[in-house]
Amino acid sequence: MRVHIEKVDSKDQEEAVIKAVEITDEISGAVELLEGDAKGFAVSKDGKTYILKASNVYYIESVDKKTFVYTRQGCYDTKYRLYELEVLLGGYFVRCSKSMIVNLRKVRNVKSQISGRIDATLINDEVVVISRGYAKEVKRRLGIG
Amino acid sequence: MNKLKLWFEQTAIISFSIFVGILIEGLVYSVFLGDDLSAFSLSWFHILSVILAGAFCSVMTILLFIDTNILKNKFTVKIIIHFLSVYLIIVLFGWFFKWFTKLSGFIMVSVIFFLVYAFVWTVSLWIYKRDDNKINKALNGIRDEE
Repeated sequence: MRVHIEKVDSKDQEEAVIKAVEITDEISGAVELLEGDAKGFAVSKDGKTYILKASNVYYIESVDKKTFVYTRQGCYDTKYRLYELEVLLGGYFVRCSKSMIVNLRKVRNVKSQISGRIDATLINDEVVVISRGYAKEVKRRLGIG
Repeated sequence: MNKLKLWFEQTAIISFSIFVGILIEGLVYSVFLGDDLSAFSLSWFHILSVILAGAFCSVMTILLFIDTNILKNKFTVKIIIHFLSVYLIIVLFGWFFKWFTKLSGFIMVSVIFFLVYAFVWTVSLWIYKRDDNKINKALNGIRDEE
């Protein structure tokens, strides 16, 4: 498939048009990846409900069967289960341990520890752990696995 | 299931490492000590003993990576325990299955063990470092600005 990229002046003008005979898995994957950041989902904080854009999420954690969403502004809770958000958000949202999903676009860098775990430093200087068992999927999502 | 797979993989790697060790030992004996290599033989129970030693050592390796509350965040202590326990397994198997019969053989097995152990860790750390570089390079292309 031919790919044309045209430079625009602002984020508002950004869009992607895909011309295809049929919607293959590859095209669905590309759409999912491109739409990822535009997706929103319901979260709540202090009794109020908000629609949170996926692009604002740093990471999502499950603690005692409750799901917490972390952004620059703070922590929210959501009714979604971790596996549901994993499917809903897709793209650069990847499972990094049994109880956490991280937004790879918010990761500044990674550093492996001798114990095999990978410390991922986010752009807000928080550190989350990527279990070695999930490293393969992280690499796959980044197109290097 | 993952642990079973890991156990099989580790058993294969460790058994292979021991066979490489035997090969090095044979070469050292023939090249430097002038032993007759044609007299060397490897019976079925030697091969079985190497695979069994690999299986026992891999159990220790799986325990090393299990996250338990005991010794949590004390990986250096866990590595020392792992090193000593694996060394003990190798020495016991070596003594029981006659991998060595003289002090020189015991020293040789010990030296090869230390070299293989250091080599495995060096390769693992190099692979980790290479993966980190690949991931960091890929992250540079997609990262959001704060």
